[in-house]
Amino acid sequence: MLWAVATILFLMFRLMPTNPLAAYIDPTFTEEQQQLLMAKFGLDRPLWEQYFIYLKNLLQGELGDSFFYRQPVGERVMELLPNTLVLTFSSLIIAYVFGIIVGAWLAWKRDSVAERAAIPLVLTTRAMPEFWLGMLLLAVFSFTLGWFPAGGTRSPGSEYDGYLALYTSRDFLAHLVLPAMTLAIYSQGLPLLLMRSNMLEVMNEDFVTMARIKGLSNWTVVVRHAARNALLPVMTSFAIAVGYQIQGNVVVETVFSWPGLGRELVNAVSASDYPLAQGAFLMIAVVVVLMNLLADLLYSLLDPRISHA
Amino acid sequence: MGDDILRVNGLKISYAVGDAKVRAVDDATFSIPSGSIVGLVGESGCGKTTVARGLTRVMAKSAIIEGGEAIFDGTDLMKMSEAEMNRLRWRDIAFVPQSAMNSLDPVYRIEHQLNEVLIQRGGHSKSEARQRSEELFDMVGIEPRRLKDYPHQFSGGMRQRVAIALALALNPKLVIADEPVTALDVIVQRQILDTLKDLQEKLGISVILVTHDISVVAYVCDRIVVMYAGQVVESGDTETVLTRPYHPYTMGLYNAFPDLQSSAGLLTPIEGHPPDLRHPPTGCRFAQRCPFAQSRCTTSGDIELADVGGGHYAACLRSGEAATLRGDAAKSETWAAMA
Amino acid sequence: MHSDSASAEPIRGGSVLRWIRRIHLPLDDPFAIAGLLIYAVFILVAVFADQLATHDPLEILFTQDYQLAADLRPGEDGFVLGTTSLGRDIYSQLVYGSRSALLIGITAAFMVAVIGTVVGLLAGYFRGWTDIVLMRAADIAFGIPFLPFVIVLAAFLEPSIWNVVFAMALILWRDTGRVIRSQVLTLRTRAYIDAARVSGSSDLKIVFRHIAPNILPLSFLYGSIAIGWAILTEAAISFLGFGDPETISWGYMLQDAYASQALSTGGYYWFVPPGICIVLVVVAGFFISRGYEEILFPKLKE
Repeated sequence: MLWAVATILFLMFRLMPTNPLAAYIDPTFTEEQQQLLMAKFGLDRPLWEQYFIYLKNLLQGELGDSFFYRQPVGERVMELLPNTLVLTFSSLIIAYVFGIIVGAWLAWKRDSVAERAAIPLVLTTRAMPEFWLGMLLLAVFSFTLGWFPAGGTRSPGSEYDGYLALYTSRDFLAHLVLPAMTLAIYSQGLPLLLMRSNMLEVMNEDFVTMARIKGLSNWTVVVRHAARNALLPVMTSFAIAVGYQIQGNVVVETVFSWPGLGRELVNAVSASDYPLAQGAFLMIAVVVVLMNLLADLLYSLLDPRISHA
Repeated sequence: MGDDILRVNGLKISYAVGDAKVRAVDDATFSIPSGSIVGLVGESGCGKTTVARGLTRVMAKSAIIEGGEAIFDGTDLMKMSEAEMNRLRWRDIAFVPQSAMNSLDPVYRIEHQLNEVLIQRGGHSKSEARQRSEELFDMVGIEPRRLKDYPHQFSGGMRQRVAIALALALNPKLVIADEPVTALDVIVQRQILDTLKDLQEKLGISVILVTHDISVVAYVCDRIVVMYAGQVVESGDTETVLTRPYHPYTMGLYNAFPDLQSSAGLLTPIEGHPPDLRHPPTGCRFAQRCPFAQSRCTTSGDIELADVGGGHYAACLRSGEAATLRGDAAKSETWAAMA
Repeated sequence: MHSDSASAEPIRGGSVLRWIRRIHLPLDDPFAIAGLLIYAVFILVAVFADQLATHDPLEILFTQDYQLAADLRPGEDGFVLGTTSLGRDIYSQLVYGSRSALLIGITAAFMVAVIGTVVGLLAGYFRGWTDIVLMRAADIAFGIPFLPFVIVLAAFLEPSIWNVVFAMALILWRDTGRVIRSQVLTLRTRAYIDAARVSGSSDLKIVFRHIAPNILPLSFLYGSIAIGWAILTEAAISFLGFGDPETISWGYMLQDAYASQALSTGGYYWFVPPGICIVLVVVAGFFISRGYEEILFPKLKE
C-alpha cells in the first residue's frame, strides 16, 4: 500500500516537466557544474536505477536533504510532525465530543424544530472552505477583538525546552485556540451526522425496545444501550477523520502560519524544494494509511462480536 | 373469575398510517386465569403481537390505544400514568421477545444485562445480583460460567433460555412471550417450551404465549385465545377448543399446522388473505375465506363472542351447527373449494 | 430499500429519455428545491456575467480624480462592493468567479461520476481479476492524501483550472467506484439479469441496457457531492497560490485578500462575499444530494 503510494510519488516528482534541481541551480552555474550536481543527486542515471535507489533509501528511512534548509528531510519532517498531530488531535477531539453529544441529542429530538434547523446548519459548516473559516475567525477574534494571537505556535522571543514544555504553556494554548476551533467547526459535522443516523437506526432495534419494556430509565435506554451501540462506527470514523484532517491541515496551517507538515509541503512545493515536498507528502500518506489500519483495529477491539468471536 | 391475573376488555389499538388509521386490535376481550399459560394465536397481522405489546404500553410511536381496558391485578393498565406503568414493568409483567438475538444488546455481557434489571429495577445489591443470576441460569439450564459471555456467543436455543432467565429475574406475576420459539427448529422448540412450562408451574406465574403456531398452543397452553383480523373469534380451554372448535377459523387453523409431537399427514392451508384493516368488512371478518359462510354472515353486523358452554366462547353465527361443520372442516376438499 | 425496489421495476430498453426519467429530481424536498434554486441563480449569473459585471475583473481601475481606486469601501465611488488593494472591482470579480466555480464544479463532477461509474460497472459486472485490479487501484487512491496530491500536481503542471479538475478526477472516482460496484453486485443477482443472459444478450448490452440505468441515480448522487468537493478544492488550491492567476475565481479572490492583509485592516467586504458564494454553491449540492439520499434510502424517512 505504502509502496504503491511511494511509487506514484516517485513518478510524479521525476516525470514532471520542470527540472528538479531548478531551485538548486544558480543561473551562473556552468554546464559542467550542473552535470556534477546531477551526478551528485544521482539524476544522471536511468530512471529505473533511480527508482531502486529511491526505494532502498526509503526503506532505510533516508529521505534525502532539503535543498532549502540543507538539512536531512527526515529530521525536518519529524520536527514538524508533532505540531501537526497536536493540532489535528486537539481539534478532532473537540469535534467528536461535540458531534457525538449533539448528534445523539438530535436523534432523540427527532422531528423537533431544533432538529430541522440543525441539519442544514451542520451541512453549511461542511460546505465552508476551511481556510475561509480560519480567515473569518482570525479577522474577528485576532485582528478586530485582539483576543488571540494571529499565527504561529508561540510568541516571538519565547523559548521552551522540548515539545512538552511548549505544548503545556499558556502561550501555546492561546495560539492553538483559533486553528483548532477552525478545524473543529469544520470536522464536527461528520461525527454529528453519523451519530445521528446511527442513533435513529439503533433506536429501532429490538434491544432498545426491550430496554423500555424492562422499565429501565430513559438515561439507560438512550445512553447505555442506544448511544453505546451507535457509537461504534463513529469511533471507527475517528481514525479515518485523522487521516482526512491531516490532509485538510494544509490550508489551515497556512492561514495560521502553523509550523506543521501541511504548511511545509506548500512552502516546499512553492520553493521547488523537491526532497522536502516529497518527504512531507510521504509522511502525510503514512499517517493516512496508518489511520485507516487503526480504524479497522479499533472496530474489532470495540465490537465484542469481533473481539470475542 | 375472581382469580384472573389479567382481564382484557374491548381493547382497541390503532396505528396511524399516513393520514389513515388502521385498527389493528378491535374490541379484543379475553382473560388470563392466575397461574396458567394462555396461548394467543392467529396468523401474522391478526393483532396478537399488538395486544402483547399494548399490555406493556411500549409501542411504536404511531400506535394509539383507542379504548378498552386491561385489568391487571385489580388496576387498569391502560389508565396508568407512565410512571406507574414503569414501576410495574418487569417487576410484575415481563416479556420474552421473539428473537433474543436482536433483543439482547450485542455489546454487553449477559451478566451485565441481568445486573441491569436486578440492580436498577429490582434493587438488589451487586452480590445479591450475582447470586440471583447464577440461580436464574441454573433454572433455565445454562452453566453459570456463561454469564460472562456475549449474546452472539450463544446458540439460538440458548439465547432464548437467556431471555427466559431475564424475564424471570424479578419474579414477575405475568410473563408475555411473543413467539418465543418461532425461529428455532422443532426439537429445540420442544425443549424450550418444556422449560417454560416447567418453570411456570414451579413458580406459579401466568404466561401469555403469543404464537402463530397452533401446535405450540396445543403442546403447552391451558387456555387458548384465537384472534382473527384484530378480533378474538374463539377462546376457551385448550383441549375443548381444539377438539370441539366452534369457529370455522379455528378449525381451519388446526388443519394448517403439523403436530409438535407427531408429524401429521397432509396440511390443508386456509386459502386467501386476512382482510385489509384499513377497510374492514362488515359482519364476520372471516366470511370471505370461510367455506361455511352464508349471506347473513356479512350483513348481520358485528358478531359478539357468545358462550357456547363451560367458559368456551366463539363468535360465529353458525356455532349451533358446529358439530356438522367440524365434520366437513376435517375434509381438505372443503377448504380446497375456496381456492 | 424495499419500497424503492418495489416501485423501481427494472428499467429495460435504452432510450435516452428513459435514462433521463431515471434521474428523478427530488422535488418534494424543500431543501432540494432550495438547492436547485441556488444553482439556477448561479448558473444565470455565470451565463450573463458579461452583462452583470460593471468592470473588467482584472482591470486596474482609477477614480474620477485619476487616483488608483485601491482599497475603496463598498459604495465608495460607485463600486458596489469596494475594490481590492490593486484597484480591481470586487463585485465584478465575484460575478466572474461564478463562471469558473461552475465550470470546475460541473466538469469535475462529470468526470468523477463517469470514471467512477465505469469502474464500478466493470468491476462489479466482470468480477474476477478486473475487479481485483480496479479495487486495488481504488485502495491506493484512498491511500493518497487528496489535497497534497492536487497541490503537487497543480504546482508542477501549468497553473490552470483544468489541472485541478484533472487531479481531482484522478483521485475522487474511488468513492463512486466502490459504491457503484457493490450496487452492481447486488443487481447482478436479480432474476431479470439472468433472464437477459440466458436469452443471449451480450455482456455489453446487459451492462448498458439493464444495469447502468438502475445505478444512474447513485452516479448522480456522487456527482452532485463531487460538485461541492471540486469547488472547495479549487478554492483551496487557488488560496495556496497554485491557481491560475489569469482566471478569476473565488479562491483567487480570497488568496488576494489574505495576501493583501485584508484581515488585519478589517476588509470584511473583500473576503466575506466570495466565501459566502462558495458556501452557497456547495451547500446547494449537499441539499440536493440529501434529497437524493432520501430517494435512494427511503428507510431513513420512515
